[in-house]
Order: sequence, then C-alpha cells, then structure tokens
Amino acid sequence: MAVESPTKPTIADKIYDKMFHNYVWKSIFRTGYPNTPRNQMLVVATNVFLHLHPTRIHRTHVKITHTYCLGGLSFFMFLGLTVTGILLMFYYVPSVERAYLDIQNITTTVQFGQLMRNMHRWMAHAMVILVFMHMMRVFYTGAYKPPREFNWVVGVILLVLTFLLSFTGYLLPWDQLAFWAITVGTNIAGSAPVLGPKTRFWLLGGFEVGPDSLIRFYTLHVIGLPLLAAIFMAVHFWRIRRDGGLARPL
Amino acid sequence: MATAVVARPVARPQARARDEEVLVWPDLVFIEFIAALVFTITLFFLSVVVNAPLLDQANADVTPNPSKAPWYLLNLQELLLHMNAAMAGIIIPTVWLIIMGAFPYFDRDTEGQGAWFNTEGAVKITIVAGAIGFFGTWLLILWDSGKIAFFLNDWFGITGGDTFRFLENVRSMQSQLPWPEWSKSITYLPFNLRLLDGTGSGGPTTFQHLDFPGWLVEQAIPIAVLVGLPTLMIYGMWRAGWVMNRRDALLALFSGFVAAYGVLTLTGTAFRGQGQELVFPWELKVSEGIPGQEPGH
Ligand code: HEM
Repeated sequence: MAVESPTKPTIADKIYDKMFHNYVWKSIFRTGYPNTPRNQMLVVATNVFLHLHPTRIHRTHVKITHTYCLGGLSFFMFLGLTVTGILLMFYYVPSVERAYLDIQNITTTVQFGQLMRNMHRWMAHAMVILVFMHMMRVFYTGAYKPPREFNWVVGVILLVLTFLLSFTGYLLPWDQLAFWAITVGTNIAGSAPVLGPKTRFWLLGGFEVGPDSLIRFYTLHVIGLPLLAAIFMAVHFWRIRRDGGLARPL
Repeated sequence: MATAVVARPVARPQARARDEEVLVWPDLVFIEFIAALVFTITLFFLSVVVNAPLLDQANADVTPNPSKAPWYLLNLQELLLHMNAAMAGIIIPTVWLIIMGAFPYFDRDTEGQGAWFNTEGAVKITIVAGAIGFFGTWLLILWDSGKIAFFLNDWFGITGGDTFRFLENVRSMQSQLPWPEWSKSITYLPFNLRLLDGTGSGGPTTFQHLDFPGWLVEQAIPIAVLVGLPTLMIYGMWRAGWVMNRRDALLALFSGFVAAYGVLTLTGTAFRGQGQELVFPWELKVSEGIPGQEPGH
C-alpha cells in the first residue's frame, strides 16, 4: 500500500481549515461534511431538520418522475408562506379602518414589502395547485392502497385545510376583490340546509362581511388553520415512515 | 413492543429491500434542495414581474359585476348556476370529499401500487374517462346556458318551435311545460316542522309544500346527471371489458372528476362575464359597480 507523503497545505486549504475547523463552527456542526455512508446516515438520523427522512430510501423513489417532488414542494410552499406571512404581519392590522391602508403601505413604502406580498400571494396559489397535483400523483400511482388508507384520509383533510387557508387569506386586503369574493364564498356556505345560515353567521360574525368577519378570518388565517395544518402534516409525514416509506410495487 | 401496535390483519408495511436502497444524504436531500431552489427562484421572479392585485377599498354598496369567489371555488360557483344552491355549494362538495376519502376503503387490493398507471389498461381508462368528463361537462354547460339551441338555430336554422322549447335548457323544463297548478304546491309533510323553514321567516308553519317542477330542475335532474352519467360511464366500460375491478372503476371515476373539475373551474374563471353570461375570455369585462352608482358621491 502506497502511503501518500503529506504535501504542504495550499492557501485554499488553509482558508478552508480556518473557516470550517474552528471552534465556533464546530460548536454548531459537530462533524465535517459527511463523506462516508455511515456519517451520511448519521447526519440524517441526528439532524433535527433532516430526521423527518429515513436514512435510506428505495432506489425508485428518488426518481423525480415518481413523485415530481409534489408533496415536498407543497410543504415547502407552506414554509415559505409562513416566512412571508410573518413578515407581512409586522405591518398589517386586521381592522376595517387600517387593513386596506396597511396593504397599500406594504406595497408602496415598506422596503421589499411589495415583493413579500407578491411572494405570499403567488406561493398561496402555487400551494393549492401543488397539493391538488400531489393528490393526483398519489392516486395514479395507487399509493392510497393498504396500508396507506389513513394517510390518504389525512391528505384529504390537508386538501380542505389548504383551501380554507387560502380562502381566509383572501379577505385580508379588504379591497373590492376580497370583499365580494368572500361575500360570494360565504353565501355558498350559507346555502347549506339547516346549518347553513348559522355557519355563515358564525364565520362572518354577523349577517354580512364586516369588521367582525375580518378579525375572524385573520385569526383563522394566521394561527388557527396553520396550527391545524401543521399538526396534520406532522401526522402525514410520520405515517409515511410508519407505513414503510413510499408505496412500491409488490 | 412496537410491533403489537403496528400489526393489523389487513396490511403491514412491506419488508425492506435493503440492497435496493440508496442513501437519503446525498441522493434525496440533493433533489429536494434543487426543487426548492427552482421554486424559490421562479416564484421570486414571478413576484418581481407580476404584482398581486389590489383593487379599490371594500365597499358594500358597490357590487362588481360579475362578483366571483376565489378561483379554486369557481367550480362551485359554476355549479350554482345550474342547480339548487345548497346542493351545488355544500352537499355535492361534501359528499365528493367523503367519497374521495373512502377510496382506499373501497379499493383494498394492494395490486398496482407504487408506480404510475401500474394496472392493465390504466392509461386507456384514464384518457377515455378524462375525455368523457371534459367534453361531457362542456356539453352540459353549453346546453344549460341555452347555447346549443342558439347555435342550432343560428348556424343551421334548426328550431324546435314552441313544442320543443322546454328542451332549450334545464330551467325551461320548469317554465315551458304546461305544469298543472297543483303540481307546483304538493303538500308532503302534514305536520309542523319549522326546521325546514329556514331562519327568520316568522310565524308558525303548518305544512311543507313541494314545487314539483322546481324540484325537478333544481335537484332531481342535476342529481340524476351527476350520479347517472358517471355510473353509466363505468357501467359501459365494464361491459366493454375495460373496467375489471375496483381500482379500474376508481380510475374512471377520479379521471372523470379531475376533467370535470378542471372544466368547471376554467369556465367559472375565464368564460363567465357580466351577469354570469357565458362569454369568451377576451370578451370578459368586469364592471366595478352598479351602473349609475359610482363610489365616492
Ligand atoms: C398540505 C398538503 C400536503 C403535504 C404538505 C403533503 C406532503 C407529502 C409528502 C412530502 C409526501 C412524500 C412523497 C411525495 O412527496 O409525494 C406525501 C406522500 C403522500 N401523500 Fe401527501 N401531502 C399533502 C396533501 C396530500 C393530499 C391532498 C393527499 C391525498 C388526498 C395526500 C396523500 C398522500 C399519500 C397517500 C402519500 C404516500 C404516497 C406514497 O406512499 O407514495 N397528501 N405527502
């Protein structure tokens, strides 16, 4: 076995060493880049963000054309919406007097405000589309079949929650588009037999869209529904692991 | 032990095939990273180029025409034009979500899972059911908005005269047939049930009356169409030897749904103009308020 004689470290090696092998860096990342299979599995199993994954996964499931990453991207949209949503919350007050002016302010005077609002809006649309497409991919790959029955049900609940999240957000700009879309939408809810009028009243906090509706939609949009969605997503992801990873042919 | 919790009579997770497995780091984490990056960049540029809409401040006195729900609800708003509001807005979506949630409990066969269209004839069923859903929904919308009668008359000079006027669309069956008076008010509940009266109508009710022609066009025919046509399609495919098991039936049902859902959403979004008239997308205009009632006076 030939042993390489140590060469003098280049300047690049030295910089690399200074950056990634110093005391502070190592206090954050306890190991260097995981370049052996053992370390790569360890990093997935022990990192708080990565350990949602198994350490190893069936060969066919990393093919892009199997999932088109649709579920993962739905989740990514959810994360992005949380980030941009929190930024918007700094400036937005859900009162009839302020809501519209605040949105105007965000788009005109707030630094990067227009960008944040646009990102939030387009990501919301993207999420609805991605979740629906994810459902189609799960269906056409037959992935709802046993033992994944319940995870499909959790998925249907997530689909409804995604619609509701988007719907409650739609009112918040308090412009004509928002006001009348929610009027039409809640009229639909109000037409339900027996429970309809009550449901509509409860949703709107009154007989028509007004200040009380705004605060209700806001509360549902920024905390109630995201919390529920996060819980169901946690179950969804956990179930994928418990059901033996993604479905594959028998 | 954990196995005691996992064990179920029906299905357990498959045994792992370790020699077929790859490492999540780097194989999967890398793909996820790229996918997230591509979406971030795309949405970033979209957001730089296209601004989110912001119209005038909300004003309960100025109704835009047409007023539309958010786009993903326009399929329901479109249904609303064709039938009873409670049915279109609540009952149909709720029932469909329940049906969809029940898919795995109906089709319990584990065969054909884990790969795209992994059963015999799956692609064929999907394409044909999708096409039927697509064209069928379009035809129904065209018919119910009276466009088919209009085209027949305008382009081919075919007219049914007064005799066949009731076939123009669903509602003309209510208005153009000589219904006897009694059929418009049939007493069906000979006791007091105020629950069915809705809220705020005041005063005690004694009887429930059925407007039969109204019930026919608002509820009976739509239900018959929504249940009947898919059933007919699946039955036909079964007779033709295409649909051979529950998975095949679901493939046909789901594909038909996706197509119909798409057409309804698209129609509601791009083909409904003022007064919810059927128009071409390039003719679609929104008037920002009731004419003669401009805001700010
Ligand atoms: C907020 C919405 C959702 C999120 C974030 C989400 C996320 C995910 C992710 C990350 C996966 C892993 C595989 C993949 O990416 O395709 C997955 C799998 C799965 N999802 Fe979802 N999902 C959502 C909604 C849905 C819906 C609407 C359904 C069905 C009605 C569904 C049913 C399933 C099933 C059955 C699997 C297992 C697939 C398999 O074994 O191949 N999910 N989901």
